[in-house]
Amino acid sequence: MIKYKDIRWTVVWLTGILFLAAWDILFLNKPALKKVAAGFVNTFTIAVLVICITLLLGWLTALLLHFLSLRKRRTGYMAIMFILNLLRSIPQVVGILFGYILVSYLHDAGILKSAFSLFPVLAFFMSLFIFIEVVDLIRERIDHFRKLDFYNAMRVCGIPESRVVNFHILWKNSRIHIFNKLISIFGMAIFLQCSVDFIISVGLSTDVNEVSLPATLGSLLAKIDSKQDILAIGYTLTNPAYAGHLFFQHLQGISIAFLIVFSLLSIYNISNGYAERHRL
Amino acid sequence: MKSKLLDHFSSITFVTAILLFAVWAIGVSQKINAKQEASKLKGLTDITFIDFSDPFQRALLKDALNIYYPGQYDKNDSLARAIISLKEQQFSDKLQKSHLTQALTPVKWIELIIAYAKFLIVYVIVMFLTYYGVQTIAVARFVLKKSAAQRVSSNLVGTFFTKACGLFFTFILFCPAYVIAYSIRTELNTDTIFFMILLATVSNGLLITYANKFFAFLTAESRKGYVETAIVKNLIENYRTSDPGIPWKSILSLRKRYPGHVFDHIYRNARFQYVSTLKEQASFLISGLVIIEMALNIHGHLSYEMLRQMLYKNYDIVIIIVLGIFYTVKMTEIFTDLLLYRESRKYENRTG
Repeated sequence: MIKYKDIRWTVVWLTGILFLAAWDILFLNKPALKKVAAGFVNTFTIAVLVICITLLLGWLTALLLHFLSLRKRRTGYMAIMFILNLLRSIPQVVGILFGYILVSYLHDAGILKSAFSLFPVLAFFMSLFIFIEVVDLIRERIDHFRKLDFYNAMRVCGIPESRVVNFHILWKNSRIHIFNKLISIFGMAIFLQCSVDFIISVGLSTDVNEVSLPATLGSLLAKIDSKQDILAIGYTLTNPAYAGHLFFQHLQGISIAFLIVFSLLSIYNISNGYAERHRL
Repeated sequence: MKSKLLDHFSSITFVTAILLFAVWAIGVSQKINAKQEASKLKGLTDITFIDFSDPFQRALLKDALNIYYPGQYDKNDSLARAIISLKEQQFSDKLQKSHLTQALTPVKWIELIIAYAKFLIVYVIVMFLTYYGVQTIAVARFVLKKSAAQRVSSNLVGTFFTKACGLFFTFILFCPAYVIAYSIRTELNTDTIFFMILLATVSNGLLITYANKFFAFLTAESRKGYVETAIVKNLIENYRTSDPGIPWKSILSLRKRYPGHVFDHIYRNARFQYVSTLKEQASFLISGLVIIEMALNIHGHLSYEMLRQMLYKNYDIVIIIVLGIFYTVKMTEIFTDLLLYRESRKYENRTG
C-alpha cells in the first residue's frame, strides 16, 4: 500500500486512464477512439499550458507589486491592484467565454491558423482569470517571510532584494506551496475548459456558424452521439438491466464523462494529499 | 473599512462607465455602418416600383443607370448588382434572421430584469444552502474523525464500506453540472428552478471543495494552544455523536452551538476565518450557475440569454447582462467585507 495519499492518487489516476484506454481500444470503434484520444490530448495540453502561463503571469505580477510597494510608487501599485480586483470580480467562466469568442474571430479571420498558435492563446485567456490566485499566494509568502529576521539579515549581508525574494523566499521556502497551487490550477483549468467548450458547443444553434476550435473533452461531450450516451445513464436508473450496454454500446460519451470526472476527482485528491504530506 | 468600500464603489463606477460607453459605441458604430452601406448605393436602395425578381425589370434598371450615368458601364453594372444582392439579402434576412437581431427595447429590458431577478433568487438560495452544507459536512467529518481517533475500530468491513460510500458520493459531487443534468434528463424535468438550485448546490465540486477548506480551518484551529488550555479548564473534549459529546442534532442544526464543549471555540474561530473565503465561494458559485443555465439551454434564464446574444452578436445586450453579473459579485464582496469587519470588531472587543 502506498503511504502518501498524493502518490497513491497519482497511481490510481494513471491506472484508471490506462485501463480506460485499454477498454476503449478493445470495444470502441476506431473513429470514435481517435476523437476521444485527440480530445484528451488537446484538453491536457491546454491545461499544462495554462499552468505555465499562470505561473509566469502570477510570478511577474507579484514581483512587480512587491517592488512597486518597496519603492513607494503608489500610483502604479494602485493601478495594478485595481486591475487585479477588477479581474477578480468577473466570474472566470464569463471572462473565458469572451476570450473564446475573440479567439474564434481571430481564427475565422485567418490570424490564428494552426493548433500550435490556437493552444497558447486559449491557455492565455484562461490564465488571465486564474493567475490572480498565484499572485495572492506569492504575495502572502513574501509578506510572511519579510516579517522574519532572516530577511533583514540577508539584506544586511548585501544580498540583493531580487535574489532574497526569488531564490530564498519563493524558490527555497515556497516552491511546495506554489506547486500545490499549480496542481489545483491544473484541475481548475480542465474544469473551466471542459465547461466552456461544452456550453459553446451545446449552445450553438443552426443559425450561427460553428466555432472552429480544436476538439476537447468538453466539446466532444456536447456532440449529439456523446449526449445520447450520457442520456442512456438516466435510462439505466429506471432499467438497471440495461447497465451492461453502457460499457459497450455507449462507450464514447461514457469514456469522455468518466475522463473528466475521474481526472477532476483524482487531481483534487492529489492536491489534498500533497498539502497533507507537506503540512501546508 | 472605508478604503475598501471606496475601492469597491470606484471599481463599480469605473466598470459601469466603461461598459455603458461600450454599449453607446456599439449603437453608434452600427448606425454609421448602416449609413455607409446606404451611401455606397447612392440612395438607390429605396426603389419600390421595381420587382427585383423579374429579369426584365433588372435589365431595365441597368439601362436606366447607363442613361443617368453615361460612360461608366462597368461601374453601373456593379452598382446594379450591389442593389440586387442587397435587396435579396434583405428579403432572406427578414425570413431567416429577424429573430436573431435584437435591440435594447423596453420589452427586452423587462425580460432582462425578470431573468436577473430569477438569477439573484437562485443565487441567494444556493449561497445559503452551500454555506450551511459546507459547514455541516466539515463539522461532521471533523467530529467523526475525532471520535474514530478516540475509539479503536476493529470492524474492517464497516470501515471499507463507509470509505467506498464516501468515495462514491465524492465522485457524484465532483461531476460537472451538465454531466449530472444530461444523465437524468430522460427521467426528470431538468428545466425547473428547483432542479437548478439542487444542481448548483451538489455539482461542480463546490460543496466538497469548500467543505474541505472549512475542515482545514477546523483542523488548524484544533492544533492551537488555547484548545489545550480549554481542556485543562474542564471543557468537554468528548467527540462522540451522543451526549455529552456532539450529538447529530447539533451538527445538523442551522445555528451551530456547542456550549461547554471545546469544539464550540474551534468552530467559531474556524467560521471567522472562513468568512473571507465566501468571496471566492460566491465567484465559483456564479461560474457554476452560469454554466448550468447555459448548458441546460433554459429559455428565459439570464446566462442562456447571454450566450444566445453573444452568438447572435447582439453585444449591447451581452454587456448589460455582464454588468448585472458583475454587480452581483461586487455586492457579495461588499457584504463579505462588512461581515468580516463586524466579526473582527467583535474579536477585538470593539463592538461598544
